[in-house]
Amino acid sequence: MIRPDTNPAPDAGQCPMTAAAPALRRRAFLRGATVGAALGAGALAGAYAASADDTTATAPGPSGRAIAFHGPHQAGITTPPQAAASFVSCTVIAPDRAGLQQLLRTLTERIRTLTAGGPVPATDLASPPTDSATLGPVLPRDGLTITVGVGASLFDARYGLADRKPAQLVEMPAFPDDNLLGSKELHGDLSLQICADSRDTVMHALRDLTRHTRGLLQPSWKVDGFHAAPRPSGTPRNQLGFKDGIANPDTTDPKVTDAVLWTHGGANGEPAWVEGGSYQVIRIIRMLVEFWDRVSLHEQETMIGRRRDSGAPLDGTAESDPPNYQADPQGLIIPMTAHIRLANPRTAATADQLILRRGYNYERGLDLDGNLDVGLVFCCYQQDVARQFQAVQQRLAGEPLVDYISPTGGGYFFALPGVKGPDDQFGAGLLT
Amino acid sequence: MPQPAGQQPAVQQSAVPPEPRPRAGAVRRRPLRTASVGLLVLAAAALIGSAPSAGAPAAPPGGTLRIDTAGCGRPPGQLPAGRVSFTVANASNVYATVYLTSADAGLAYAEIPWLGPGKTLPLATTLTGGRYAIRCVFSSGPVRTTTPIQVNGTASGAVAGYLPMNDKELTAPVNAYRSYVEAALPKLLAAAQALDADLAHGDLAAARTDWLAAHLDYERLGAAYHSFGDYDDSLNGLANGLPQGVDMPSWTGFFALERGLWHGRSADQLRPLSQQLVSDASSLIDDFPSEDTDPGDLPLRAHEILENALQSQLTGIADYGSGTTLATLDANIQGTEEVLSVLAPVIQPRDPSLLAQLTRELPAFDAEVTAARAANGSWTPVTALTAAQRLHLDGDLGALLEQLAVLPNLLTPRNHA
Repeated sequence: MIRPDTNPAPDAGQCPMTAAAPALRRRAFLRGATVGAALGAGALAGAYAASADDTTATAPGPSGRAIAFHGPHQAGITTPPQAAASFVSCTVIAPDRAGLQQLLRTLTERIRTLTAGGPVPATDLASPPTDSATLGPVLPRDGLTITVGVGASLFDARYGLADRKPAQLVEMPAFPDDNLLGSKELHGDLSLQICADSRDTVMHALRDLTRHTRGLLQPSWKVDGFHAAPRPSGTPRNQLGFKDGIANPDTTDPKVTDAVLWTHGGANGEPAWVEGGSYQVIRIIRMLVEFWDRVSLHEQETMIGRRRDSGAPLDGTAESDPPNYQADPQGLIIPMTAHIRLANPRTAATADQLILRRGYNYERGLDLDGNLDVGLVFCCYQQDVARQFQAVQQRLAGEPLVDYISPTGGGYFFALPGVKGPDDQFGAGLLT
Repeated sequence: MPQPAGQQPAVQQSAVPPEPRPRAGAVRRRPLRTASVGLLVLAAAALIGSAPSAGAPAAPPGGTLRIDTAGCGRPPGQLPAGRVSFTVANASNVYATVYLTSADAGLAYAEIPWLGPGKTLPLATTLTGGRYAIRCVFSSGPVRTTTPIQVNGTASGAVAGYLPMNDKELTAPVNAYRSYVEAALPKLLAAAQALDADLAHGDLAAARTDWLAAHLDYERLGAAYHSFGDYDDSLNGLANGLPQGVDMPSWTGFFALERGLWHGRSADQLRPLSQQLVSDASSLIDDFPSEDTDPGDLPLRAHEILENALQSQLTGIADYGSGTTLATLDANIQGTEEVLSVLAPVIQPRDPSLLAQLTRELPAFDAEVTAARAANGSWTPVTALTAAQRLHLDGDLGALLEQLAVLPNLLTPRNHA
């Protein structure tokens, strides 16, 4: 039988180096990690002082940017998109309603802690380290937001919540141009939208959340996204090369957000607890970029309705110019089937259909033909999915662009109302 | 043992051993919860500290401890509750292990496992109010303890005290575990012989049945991550690391047999493998009494058996055709239960609620695994599980592992802590 390396504590008269001599095996590696943790604690001592002013840190590395967790609405909705995102759909496996309550309490505590940043807690001698240390001994705030949504399936018989379901929350239907058959990335009980200024901060947060919720929440699918820098300016481009997300509602205007973004208790058939929440639609939209790159620029632009270089509508000169459809009733300049025209006809009748798009580009390997699996993690928020996203989606059915994109997964969720303060928690209204 | 803040410091009575006390904060659903509450407080504190007018907060108090074989340094007599960090400089020419303990040495809170001659490392943790001391254990023999440190106030992020473990305490559990293995090995041999006899008679159907019985006898031993050394490789090695994979001529053991039994090999082709299996099982029986079991190995196994099962069985990676990785998982749970039961006497004084929790949850998880069998009692391949079954099995095993992961640390021998 192999003798594993023994505890490194030196016994009297014995040089501890002899204790370390046994073959380097997996466990030896883990022991090494323990020593590393001790060193990490040492670094903590130094970093503690350094963490004083991390909101104004200018050194390279994770930003000290803090985005408030507490508020009437969750962060990560009207927050301008950070550089990195993960969209994770989970199944709640808590055995009962008390377990669900514990899950939401744990998520609240962890998200509050992770977004606040600061030194990780000390580890007692009888436990594995309290933190993975992938961000070092002092957590940076790094513009981290974690937005929690719930899916229609959470309101089935398991937790006795059927009568609390948000009025518009349903399972995402298959739309005519979708490719959802056999998809393993559909729906879910609970969604996590994790966004931060750095990729490693997103990863750290997810690893922390899954560790603390083990046995209550099991992730079932995940898509990672990146937010492109403006090229060269203005709205960032998607992987079709076009600026995407130009015509978003003005989230600084409460009249607008109250009308199209936030749900209101008692209105629209909604239960009282949904006040301040928002419906979240996530769609994994693969872009068939090899095909797209073989399409003429003119055809690309008429499919989208904008110029590729500037993002301007085909009847304008700057990306911020509103298209004037009334002056072009037959679609001679911007075709009637152009994506932007179908999506947002800019009529009085469609004004309340505006959605807040907050998508991310994704890239993840190759398909069986060796083509790139890249695309858009489409994410949007709205007050009423049927009135907004779904109406837009139905108008887009059969648009010329559908030949170049392939929606392969996603789901409908309801982003919970915000956690209002230190004594509040996710789902407080839902579960009481 | 630390006194509650504000209480009169008790006179130290080194002659009276401290009452063993379970870890503070031992009541918990999962190991991390206590810590997470602490993190909240600390995070809030960090926010306060970073208010623009506050300036840079002081580094955690503690100061420098210059230690040598004559003494363990001079810490401050008083410290506020919260984070502490001592910079320990070893001025001796031997290695030292440094502990932060309660003043009566009953519990340990932080350690520097080894500090080389001339080296400096931090001894850092978070303490709540009480009386503490620092102890230096030098590899040349001397053990030195500082004067007591009175910590004032309370800190909710404070770490739980650890009841030090002497490796002698593991002697009885190790002997009990060895007895368990010694009693089980002849059954393994008999099962291997039955399998070999089936193949000798050309009865492949009986061989498949007896293969499973023999394999589970082995998996129930609680082998994990090569804990039986070369025998584990020859008896139970996967093909993953072999240059030719499943076609490697030297590949032997249960998985090589499984691959053959479920991929149309004839009894004659498989017979050399079953003969080798019998030979290896027999050699293991001969060899086992002369092999040491390291005391530290047993607590590791308490979580590694099921870490291994999550990695290879629940994923189906170790399925070479029989579709019985859930049966293996079931046997691994039983092996873990055996390890837990022999360790129970040393876990009980340290974390009784963890022991109670695991004693309840391991059988519950086992029931969940066996419930996934088909109506006729046959094992369901993991690929045939429903998505919901899979999510629950993965999540529940993960939750168990988060708890089992405490045991190796909780039961690490620290003879001088």
